[in-house]
Amino acid sequence: MTTLDHPTSTRPIPNPEKSLITKLHMGTGMVVGAIFAFGTYFWLRSGQDMTVAHNVNKVLLISMFMWSLGFLIGIGAFIGPFRWLIGKDLTAEEQLYLAGDGQGVSRYFRYCTDHKVVGIQYLVGVMAMLGVGGTLAMMIRTNLISPGSKFVTPVIYNSLVGLHGITMIVAMIVVATGPFGNFILPIMIGARDMAFPRLNALSWWVLFTAIPVLCSAWFLGGIPTGWTAYAPLSVQAGPGMNAFVATIIIFAVSTAVAGANITATVVTMRAKGMKWNRVPIFVIGATISVALAIPAFPTFMVSMIMTALDRTANTTYFDAQFGGSGWLYAHLFWIMGHPEVYVILLPGVAALMEIVPVFVRKPLFSYNAAIMGFAGIAGLSVLVWAHHMYMSGWLPMLNGPFMITTEMISIPTGLIFLVILGTLWRGKPWMKLPMLGVYAFLWNMLIGGVTGVYLSDVPADNYLHGSMYVTAHFHYTLMGAALTGALAGLAYWFPKMTGRMLHERAGYISFWFVQIGFQVLFLGMFIAGAEGQPRRVADFSAMYKYSNMISTMGAYTIGIGMIVMLWAVIHSWRKGAIAPINPWGAKTLEWTVPFPVPLENFDELPVITSDPYGYGRSK
Amino acid sequence: MSADTQFHIHHDAPEVVGRRERLGVRLLIVADGAFVFGMIFSYFYLRNLNANGGWLPKGAHYLSAGTGWLVVAPLIIAALSHRMAEKNRDNFNVLSVVTLVSLLAGTYYQWHQLANMPFIVHDTGIFEGSYASMWLLIAGANMFHFLLGSFIALGLVVRARRVQIDPILQTWRLRTAGSWFTWIAISGIACALTTTFVR
Repeated sequence: MTTLDHPTSTRPIPNPEKSLITKLHMGTGMVVGAIFAFGTYFWLRSGQDMTVAHNVNKVLLISMFMWSLGFLIGIGAFIGPFRWLIGKDLTAEEQLYLAGDGQGVSRYFRYCTDHKVVGIQYLVGVMAMLGVGGTLAMMIRTNLISPGSKFVTPVIYNSLVGLHGITMIVAMIVVATGPFGNFILPIMIGARDMAFPRLNALSWWVLFTAIPVLCSAWFLGGIPTGWTAYAPLSVQAGPGMNAFVATIIIFAVSTAVAGANITATVVTMRAKGMKWNRVPIFVIGATISVALAIPAFPTFMVSMIMTALDRTANTTYFDAQFGGSGWLYAHLFWIMGHPEVYVILLPGVAALMEIVPVFVRKPLFSYNAAIMGFAGIAGLSVLVWAHHMYMSGWLPMLNGPFMITTEMISIPTGLIFLVILGTLWRGKPWMKLPMLGVYAFLWNMLIGGVTGVYLSDVPADNYLHGSMYVTAHFHYTLMGAALTGALAGLAYWFPKMTGRMLHERAGYISFWFVQIGFQVLFLGMFIAGAEGQPRRVADFSAMYKYSNMISTMGAYTIGIGMIVMLWAVIHSWRKGAIAPINPWGAKTLEWTVPFPVPLENFDELPVITSDPYGYGRSK
Repeated sequence: MSADTQFHIHHDAPEVVGRRERLGVRLLIVADGAFVFGMIFSYFYLRNLNANGGWLPKGAHYLSAGTGWLVVAPLIIAALSHRMAEKNRDNFNVLSVVTLVSLLAGTYYQWHQLANMPFIVHDTGIFEGSYASMWLLIAGANMFHFLLGSFIALGLVVRARRVQIDPILQTWRLRTAGSWFTWIAISGIACALTTTFVR
């Protein structure tokens, strides 16, 4: 069916008889999860007055968590820890079975510990999430095609905005570190696997359990708060808000586990001779990104647990009448929320930095400056959160310091620009599909970055805050830069992940549709925002009708481009040209292993004797 | 936690796997530390803001400082007994049981506190201000630490009885568990200090 049908080994399939792990898969997980969820739901609701909002919230939230727990039990996620507890560790044969050795496509539906399988699971999952989020975006833009269009009701519009936002944020956080951080990164550093293979599988399947929870919001009245879920609005919102809260808590667990795993892998499992100044730049960017996520997301989790308790247990964290504060929520949210922007951005940018030297056949310009850029962005990103709160009235005397720290981020971002431009300088680029993403990034990030400076400026933000200008700005950074980087990464690493070349012509068509549509959509949105159109509002004044119509046309153009890309991926995966081991002539380690990549990646672990960007140097 | 089976597959030496696992646990401790930081930040924030005098409304009261320290005591005992067990392998069985029993006792006491907390205003069902709300969150975090600590301690007791704690090869495994026990004691102390002195 696909190239993934190939077994990864010619060894006999491990068959640890009588072991429970051979009987568990995604199907058993869903059955056990459903039993846990519905069992809990009907059991709890029987003793509750379900006309009281707190009781409804309590029953729903607990049922959602029980779904997640039940699924993980049903798929076998806890067999390892349980066996450790009773002193009977998994045998080597069971470990091999868990690694999916020789199991073909079925391993993608099991609790498989092979990092390549987890990478593909993330890739498919991310594409599905981007598809859902993108469809929601099309619906939002359709409603905004003209004043008073009434494509959806204002209540549904609010839900569309909330669901689009959180779906895309979750998808974008894992869009590069999920597929490439799991599949490619361990091979890039010359490791046989991730540091903690079972935790690796856990991070994916925990995230997977969050997807149905988030989808359930549709049937529970939606998420009317936008993705920021500001309190006390989120505390007062209907039952759909429980899905948001549960999703974030589950996702934060997945992120912490994945972050610890990737960081430990890179720190402790690099090949012999791979000193820190020989580590591929994608590995550096992805590691800084996930390391930044480790402390960032738990604070978001605190805010969500507080929201859950306010909604279910009558606590008063965010209720000013009883000593709470909405500002507290904003702090906890943005202490995570701004670093999260860079958690999204850095891996995509790092993927592009990996691509440029390969296609220009020049060493990466100033590798150290690139690392300083990444480190500077990560360091400053934790000191800027309150620029999201200039207009909230919280401690105006601190607006100035936060404005300065925010504007300082331009410096390390500029370094990253210089590294890419310096690598391109006087080069003769090999204009293949991945390379187009580099130029798109430079353009989009320039606009996203410059418009961000205005928003970091207190007087300008006074006018622009809460307008479509903000929406356009962060789409230029997150979609225009980070997603563009991730798509370029997909085009670049597709041959290694699937064994086939991505359909080049379809890729070009998709690229131009997406990039032209993107400029039309968001430049139109900048105009509407600068003229004062508020964001997250279902209808608008007739004075904005042209800019909105133009934006919606741009959105449809993006939609066409993304459908073409989806076709290209599916078609290429099934019937694409067979890829050679190293189609781009790159020097990093992932291009030295064959497809299918062997279970332990390397027969003999490599020894590194030079940096990975030695293009054009005499031997 | 079962890295010796990975050892068979990946051919890595136990001390290499140990270094890796310790780093992994410490990174997870960083994540948990950020969570604890978020709680303590919130405690300070709401205390200092005291919106509408709602931190501790009229008629409400603080829990005695001793209550918080009674919860922390088993965490400290568990961390110390585990450290002693690491260094005194002859008495490992006894000391690992001490670790487990102290954590189970702490779990029970924390559950008892949560089940009998004197905060809810019964006619409205609303918590008595933000101090009471913060106390609930901190107690819940302690409960999570107790449960996870008890799980690890139980595993060590069982494995010790099955003579699976090899004194030479698996020092790293005990050190990894010790990192967690030490962290939850530090976290408990930080929370108790906060609730004792910030009133």
